[in-house]
Amino acid sequence: MLVSEIPRGGIEGTLRAMEGRWPVQVALERSAYLEAAEVVCQARDLPALCEWLCSELHYTFATLVVLEEERGWLLRYVFYGGVERSLLSLLVRIPGWENSVPSIASLVHAADWHEREAEDLFGLVFEGHPKLGDFVLHEEWPEGVNPMLRGFDGSKPYPHRELDPDWRPDRIVQSPGAFVMPIGPVYSDHAESAHFLLETVGEDVIRTIPRFFYKYRGVEKIAQGRRVEDVLLLAERFSGTSAFAHSLAFCQAVERLSGLQVPERARMLRIALCELERFRHHVHAVAEICSSTGLGVATSQASILEEELLRLSCMVSGHRYLFGLNVPGGLTVDLTERKLTLLQNGIREILKRFLDLEDMLRFSSSFLDRLEEVGIVSAHDARAYGLVGPVARASGIERDLRKVLPYSGYERVEFRVPCELEGDSYARLRVLFREAEQSAQIVEDVLSSLPQGPISNTGPTPTAGSALGWVEAPRGAAFHWVCLEEDGVVARYRLTTPSFTNWHGFHLAAENFAFQDFPIIMASFGLSNAESDR
Amino acid sequence: MSWTGHLLSAFFALCLSGTIAAGLLSGRRGPMALSLTGFLSSALLLVISGNVLLRGTTLEVWLWELPLAGRLLVRMDVLSSLFMFVTGMVFMPVSIFSAGYLRKYLGRYSLKTFGCLYHLLFASIVLVLIAGDVVFFLLAWEGMSIICYLLVNYEYREEQNIRSGFLMLSMGEAGTLAIALGLIIVAEASGGLDFASLKVGSQALSAHARWAVFILTFLGFGVKAGLVPVSSWLPKAHPAAPGNVSALLSGAILNLGVYGIIRVDWELLGMTDPAHGLVVLLVGSLSALLGILYATIRNDMKRMLAHSSIENMGIVTAGLGAAFVFGSSGLIPQAGIALLASLYHMVNHSVYKSLLFLGAASLDSRLGIRDMDRMGGLARGMPWTSLFFLVGALSISALPPFNGFVSEWLTLQSLLRIALLDSTAVKIVFALCGAGLALTAGLAVTCFVKAFAMSFLGVARSEEAREAREVPASMRWAMALLAVCCLGLGVLPTHVIPVLDRPVAQLVGASTVNALVPPFFTVEKGDPEWDEAFLSEFHDLGAEVGRGLIPGRGLVVLHRGTERNPVVFAMSSSYSLAMLVLLLGSAFLSVWFFTRSRKVVRRPAWDGGVRRLTSEMTYTATGFSNPVRVIFEAVFQPSKVQSARETVAEHFRTAIMTGPAEETHLLDRSVYGPMMRLSQKVAQGLARMHTGSVNAYAAYVLVSLVGLLVVWLLI
Amino acid sequence: MSKWVLKGLRTGIVTTRYPGSMETSPGVSPGRPVSTVLRGQRGLPEIPSCPTGALVQRAGKTTVDHKRCIHCRRCVRASTPFVEWEWGYEWAEWTSTDPKEMEGLGPSFSRSLHIRFVDAGACGACMSEVAQLTKPHYNLHRLGFFFTPSPREADVLLVAGPGTDHMRRALEKVYDSMPTPKKVVAVGTCSLSGGLFGPSFASEAGVTGIVPVSVGVPGCPPPPLAILHGLLVVVGRRPATSLTDATNQMRGDSQ
Repeated sequence: MLVSEIPRGGIEGTLRAMEGRWPVQVALERSAYLEAAEVVCQARDLPALCEWLCSELHYTFATLVVLEEERGWLLRYVFYGGVERSLLSLLVRIPGWENSVPSIASLVHAADWHEREAEDLFGLVFEGHPKLGDFVLHEEWPEGVNPMLRGFDGSKPYPHRELDPDWRPDRIVQSPGAFVMPIGPVYSDHAESAHFLLETVGEDVIRTIPRFFYKYRGVEKIAQGRRVEDVLLLAERFSGTSAFAHSLAFCQAVERLSGLQVPERARMLRIALCELERFRHHVHAVAEICSSTGLGVATSQASILEEELLRLSCMVSGHRYLFGLNVPGGLTVDLTERKLTLLQNGIREILKRFLDLEDMLRFSSSFLDRLEEVGIVSAHDARAYGLVGPVARASGIERDLRKVLPYSGYERVEFRVPCELEGDSYARLRVLFREAEQSAQIVEDVLSSLPQGPISNTGPTPTAGSALGWVEAPRGAAFHWVCLEEDGVVARYRLTTPSFTNWHGFHLAAENFAFQDFPIIMASFGLSNAESDR
Repeated sequence: MSWTGHLLSAFFALCLSGTIAAGLLSGRRGPMALSLTGFLSSALLLVISGNVLLRGTTLEVWLWELPLAGRLLVRMDVLSSLFMFVTGMVFMPVSIFSAGYLRKYLGRYSLKTFGCLYHLLFASIVLVLIAGDVVFFLLAWEGMSIICYLLVNYEYREEQNIRSGFLMLSMGEAGTLAIALGLIIVAEASGGLDFASLKVGSQALSAHARWAVFILTFLGFGVKAGLVPVSSWLPKAHPAAPGNVSALLSGAILNLGVYGIIRVDWELLGMTDPAHGLVVLLVGSLSALLGILYATIRNDMKRMLAHSSIENMGIVTAGLGAAFVFGSSGLIPQAGIALLASLYHMVNHSVYKSLLFLGAASLDSRLGIRDMDRMGGLARGMPWTSLFFLVGALSISALPPFNGFVSEWLTLQSLLRIALLDSTAVKIVFALCGAGLALTAGLAVTCFVKAFAMSFLGVARSEEAREAREVPASMRWAMALLAVCCLGLGVLPTHVIPVLDRPVAQLVGASTVNALVPPFFTVEKGDPEWDEAFLSEFHDLGAEVGRGLIPGRGLVVLHRGTERNPVVFAMSSSYSLAMLVLLLGSAFLSVWFFTRSRKVVRRPAWDGGVRRLTSEMTYTATGFSNPVRVIFEAVFQPSKVQSARETVAEHFRTAIMTGPAEETHLLDRSVYGPMMRLSQKVAQGLARMHTGSVNAYAAYVLVSLVGLLVVWLLI
Repeated sequence: MSKWVLKGLRTGIVTTRYPGSMETSPGVSPGRPVSTVLRGQRGLPEIPSCPTGALVQRAGKTTVDHKRCIHCRRCVRASTPFVEWEWGYEWAEWTSTDPKEMEGLGPSFSRSLHIRFVDAGACGACMSEVAQLTKPHYNLHRLGFFFTPSPREADVLLVAGPGTDHMRRALEKVYDSMPTPKKVVAVGTCSLSGGLFGPSFASEAGVTGIVPVSVGVPGCPPPPLAILHGLLVVVGRRPATSLTDATNQMRGDSQ
């Protein structure tokens, strides 16, 4: 097949083309706004299929879900975006005695860390992956112990082994006089725990090797065997700064599974609160960028706005970080007229001051000097690594789940997705400002035309099955895969967070820039280790 | 012959016996014997030269008459004796050091050869310094060069050493030729061949001839002194030479170049033209700057110290140049001060550079590596060596209370006396050179912080560094001796300056002690040198604390004068040293006393919570000096590094290999490179003459014969 | 640059007056349940199970173990609410009852305290609240408290998070590197009881097993004023409150 022959006829055409080339079994499910296809394929065809999907049909890799079955494994590779409003899952069954599957990491680089995580936690071997091991579980864990397996008791601590005295850091730069500068896990005044090894010959960072999962709490394992209400709490609180978004994704997965219809008022309010959280996160990210460049007054100005947003959230919803609002079927509390007016006025006023701050920042040349042409991520790299969120949009990848896979009523809301081309820190800053402006606009529009009605629908206990929920969290695309058993207990919960996806590509920005730029580039990415490590 | 003459002969006899003994004794006893004879001969030399220096007498002895060359003259004045004293000061600790150091050559190279050459070198250096006429001087100079080459090339089995030695020899010979040519030009215009008659004769030279002589002799001696642009041999010779020979090279032999410049360009030619002085000043400042720039980025310890020697010699030369300019402009006191500063710096450099080289030799003998990137954490295993190296590093960085501070301060101060000069161009040159020297001083601190910290502090970066043990006692004592000298020269300058003043007075014509050291520190009342006029402006307010306890006027001498003279507070330097020791000691004791009951808990260094802090995670010498490399990239112009990226797949990088940055020295790029290309072009042009046909060659013979006849007829 | 100075001056002072006077602005605290005795109810109402086991009903009184409460509000949103909700923020409490432990750091630290913050697996909300302390609304510098990047200069170790397995050694190292006298303030429910995440194979039941905690500030997340209260308690400038609120907050029928 030639490169230019992209199959026509939407996802059906794609499926037909697939059937023509490989021995697969396809199943297509259509709903009002979404087409979801499931394709069962052979393990040996997997690399070729994935490459075809990604490089020729321009699908994006979303997540890899590993399910432990009785007699083997079921691997689900989820793709989206090639055709509008469609999800495509590739299912591969591996018999228990084989335990290995060909790696697609060299072809679909976004899958690299997913495969490493699966290897650490499940013990699956991905053949052809150049760097397996020592990813989620650090050196204290013995080889061959995989916590996500059913047989592993996750409620008790696991005895550790002694650290290897001859351990040396993995060096990639071999140059006379090169050395490795360690940062973390405890560093700076109050930063999240993460470890970076910067390889350098003195001035510039040549290579950075990040070491994460210092904050690994095993959320996916804890969720197994718990009821939906309890897992809702986990989904909300594993990353407090994007709590509403993640709880929304989880609720949507459960709603899809049980066929619950969410009332219109709840959907609109969900949009408003989602955008409120996005606005607050972007204000925080701008404050962090100003703080990393040392511009004290701008940091204080942005922080004042952030605290006012936190207080606004508390006045409107009872919790500063919007905890405890989402529930499968709608929201837990309704917002009174008074609170809605408060929210609208508050956001309008804070937006005005935020845009004033942007005007001032745009003419601070010493501030811009630290951001322009620093930390560049090229569009090609961003696409190859599957970056998401404002980081990707600053590198020219105009992709937003609210437009590509609309949920919760976003298809009826008018807004733009801002996009920049340079890919440097300044571009990321501009994207943050424009998105914040859009979020405030969305809140205004939604609240001024809010329908009356019930705030939640309670339905029957969700039945067994599995479904995907997704949301455009403030940092990017998040996917929650929920698999329920007969009695409404969660059998498997897979979390793919935007920070996880973007940390994978962070080193692209930090390499070949000076040490002093490192904290600024990190601030401009605005990622969270709690969200990434889960 | 006077006592001095007798002692001098005894000295030469001792050297000769040392040579013979070295030739006879077996390998194992060799180092001990060498150490003993070296120690004795240097002690004798110190006595001789110290005596002449303090008394101020000159020794002149006419020796045998050589056919076609005239009578050889031995002349030892205060200038020679100063240099001899410095040489003795360097040879003594190096001899002590050799007792332990030479053991590493047992069985590998012939220690007999080393012993013979060592004593011959000592003798030849002294011969150069006491030579009183041109022939004697050139013979001794040539002999010294050759013996020095033989000693530098001692480890002759290494390919690199042969090449470095050859470079040193060839550049040295070129320098000698230039010196000889210059001296011949002067000798042509004078009656006899001894320096006194050359001095008279040089006054008859025309301005062009003077320039020619100046350039020839300055560059010729500059080769030996290690001045830019003829210093390329030095950074290669030092790593090739054995450790103690390096100390001698930097501590004694480079000084001979300075001696030659002072003797020939100052004394013989006289200071008439400020332009000469400006050339000397510029060459000196340029050497200083280039030397320290390259020293800062070098990781091989001996190469770094070699570049640093170029820098220090540059500072000495800059001081000399300033003295020239002041002298030829008639500002005698300033000339004296600048010359004194320059000589003081030369003395200091000999002392602390020998110390540093002995330290480097200790490291080399224990570790076997010279690359600072692979050292680290040596202070734990080699505490004494690191202490002495620290003293050397502090001295060379010009930090009080060590000696480097005094001489560099004096040099910079004399360069700042711009207001006294007339011509604006000269003022500008002085200002630029002063700024250059200030930059040099700053870079020197960077360089030696790197040298000390990366080698001795931190974590060991290689197996050899981890297992280092302390060096034997003889090597430690040698370094201790030099370290004590560093401290002494730094805290007692008021006692050193009157001694250095004697050669300065001889050269400049007036004593400069009073300008630098107030007379009430050096003489007592009633002494004829007591300057009543100078002191009448000051009144003794008393409080001469501690008078009579130690030599020196006293602890505090407060004077208050008339409205022209403000309050002056002065302290004798010997008292200030005592006070320093007392204060620091009592502070230390009181802190210890008050905290002796406190429990001290030691924890490892805070490392950010990493699981393990390995040696890869510490700064390397390359990393430390990288900012300097980046800032001065225009000077260094490193060639593009070879980088190979091995990739497994498009996004996985498993290795980024960068080769060492190759740099050609600025001089090689700008001076020698073009010269070589030019000479090659000329040679290629001339090579067309080699047609290979007999007829052409016969024609050449005919043409040259006819040409010679024509020339002969014309003259 | 002067435009930034003018901008700052024009914005004025927004800093809270606490501890000089209590902060009354709305939205500064999510509030928390308080132990309640309910009168006038026939029979005991059904408690929807508290997801973290913070509520215990005994003898007609609902006791709240604040170390476990995560403000999920299922108790107040139940059809018959049976706990009262208080909107304060002075939540810090000593974790031991030994009077010697409860002395705090002493008067020399009360206006000059250096704090090292360590994230032992916190979700981000606690960290965000801690970060707000340095911002204009709360500004802990006016109280003489400072964050320091080096534990060698720190007096107080501020910890958030359930104490993940991988951070255990780092946390121990930080505590070891601090010179005496030193105290540990644990921020958030996770660090006091493990919250939703511990104990498990990947985290402990709070950091009390790794470092000796002196003062605990419960909450999920505790608002910045509560963290300030905790710091003030550890230097002895404010009194603490009780974690397991056994003192009766008598209320009538819920309003």
